[in-house]
Amino acid sequence: MKRVLHSRRAALAAFAASAAAARGFEGSEQIIVPGKRSMIVHNDRPEDLESPVAYLNQWLTPVDCFFVRQHLPRPTVGEAGFELKLTGRVGKELNVTLPQLRQLPQYTVPAVLECTGNGRAFFSPRVPGVQWGRGAMGNAEWTGPRVSDVLKLAGADLNAAYVTANGADNGLAKTPDFIRSLAMKKALDPATLLALKMNGEPLPSLHGFPLRLIVPGWDGTSWVKWVNYLSVDQAPNNGFYMNPGYRFPKHPGPPGAPVNPSDLAVIEDMPVQSFITGHTDGAKVPLGPLTLKGVAWAGESRVAKVDVSTDSGLTWQTAQLTGKDLRFTWRLWALEWRPQQPGYYTVLSRATDIDGKAQPLVPTWNPSGYLFNAVDRIGLSVEARS
Amino acid sequence: MIKGAVLLLISLSASFGARAADDKAEAGKKALEQSCQLCHSLRLIESQRLSAAAWQKEVDKMIGWGTVVQDRQLLLDYLSEHYSNTVPPAAPVMSASSK
Repeated sequence: MKRVLHSRRAALAAFAASAAAARGFEGSEQIIVPGKRSMIVHNDRPEDLESPVAYLNQWLTPVDCFFVRQHLPRPTVGEAGFELKLTGRVGKELNVTLPQLRQLPQYTVPAVLECTGNGRAFFSPRVPGVQWGRGAMGNAEWTGPRVSDVLKLAGADLNAAYVTANGADNGLAKTPDFIRSLAMKKALDPATLLALKMNGEPLPSLHGFPLRLIVPGWDGTSWVKWVNYLSVDQAPNNGFYMNPGYRFPKHPGPPGAPVNPSDLAVIEDMPVQSFITGHTDGAKVPLGPLTLKGVAWAGESRVAKVDVSTDSGLTWQTAQLTGKDLRFTWRLWALEWRPQQPGYYTVLSRATDIDGKAQPLVPTWNPSGYLFNAVDRIGLSVEARS
Repeated sequence: MIKGAVLLLISLSASFGARAADDKAEAGKKALEQSCQLCHSLRLIESQRLSAAAWQKEVDKMIGWGTVVQDRQLLLDYLSEHYSNTVPPAAPVMSASSK
């Protein structure tokens, strides 16, 4: 019997060694991203980093734990020689320097930035793309000139339909350039900025130094980084990242089924949503009073309430909302809870916006896994105190 | 004696089969490393869990974007086997704090 145990141990050790070797194939070296705390690494080159939910329990998300999404290799952009080209339907083409941008009136807008694919890992069947959980989102204060003021420098035709933005990043081989068009109406919104700062600091390279488009309420894909080109146009750019990329079915079909490209529409504002961030899914907690916590936001709308269930949705209680109640930002929610006995509890959160729209119970499956906004759900094991 | 020879044959053919599978996996891994790492690290692939049909769509998209693939079927077989939607999701990879 003893020998069997030993051989089983040896087999386990051999299995562990081969598993370690398998991991080594992808690089077992420790990843450190300069300027960042410990993050969930979906991709280290270029960096696609998710914030663990523990970082999200504060109204402003610090830069050093703010999520990062990059489509293309990260460009190195220096302060010296940087110019923003203004072209298209403008009175005169212009190359604007950073000192000129800093001379324009500066505005600070707190706003949630959320990746269009946040929550993609929760779709079933799974879809290709960065497998984000809850943390491809954060709330920061963005500072810089208004896009409208920048466009006026070049005498732009403000009746044109679109402003197309390109950044300094370029695709390798034949990978399409990341170019996005923004409806002029949104570009002229006083909250739409070209940010030079994030939470009062100059934008770090990972977040788009020196200039990032801030499009409050809209999906993260609209927030172009390293912006060095704005063109005022009558038609939107038709490159990959406008079409067919970042589009959502007008009429959702069965999960897993392909969608006709003509049935897809460009994504703009984000839907109402909430996430549970005070505990991770599957966490163990000792029996006793505890505070359930999370975040909720509603794109261009505002959060009216967050309801929380601790009994798999049988009963719901309205959570307390804290944090500044400003358009484009999130609210923090909290609910005191005293589980009566040990056991496994399914905790749900559901936000409703001021227009009465609430999170659906089931996510709307779509081929690229965008706009996940189903009721959030975690499991908690409440354990007896020993 | 005959029984022993048969057993030896069975075990030999089994080990050849296993070796052929190992060789194919090794070649697939190499194909992955050669084709995909110009633009991004392999972590992006490791975290995916897709059907064979979905992998085919992704690989063809990347070929359209200029990825050089020597043996498309070899790469597809490797991806479909190792990063299949029937394989449990990968554990998250955490970076170490830079602070």
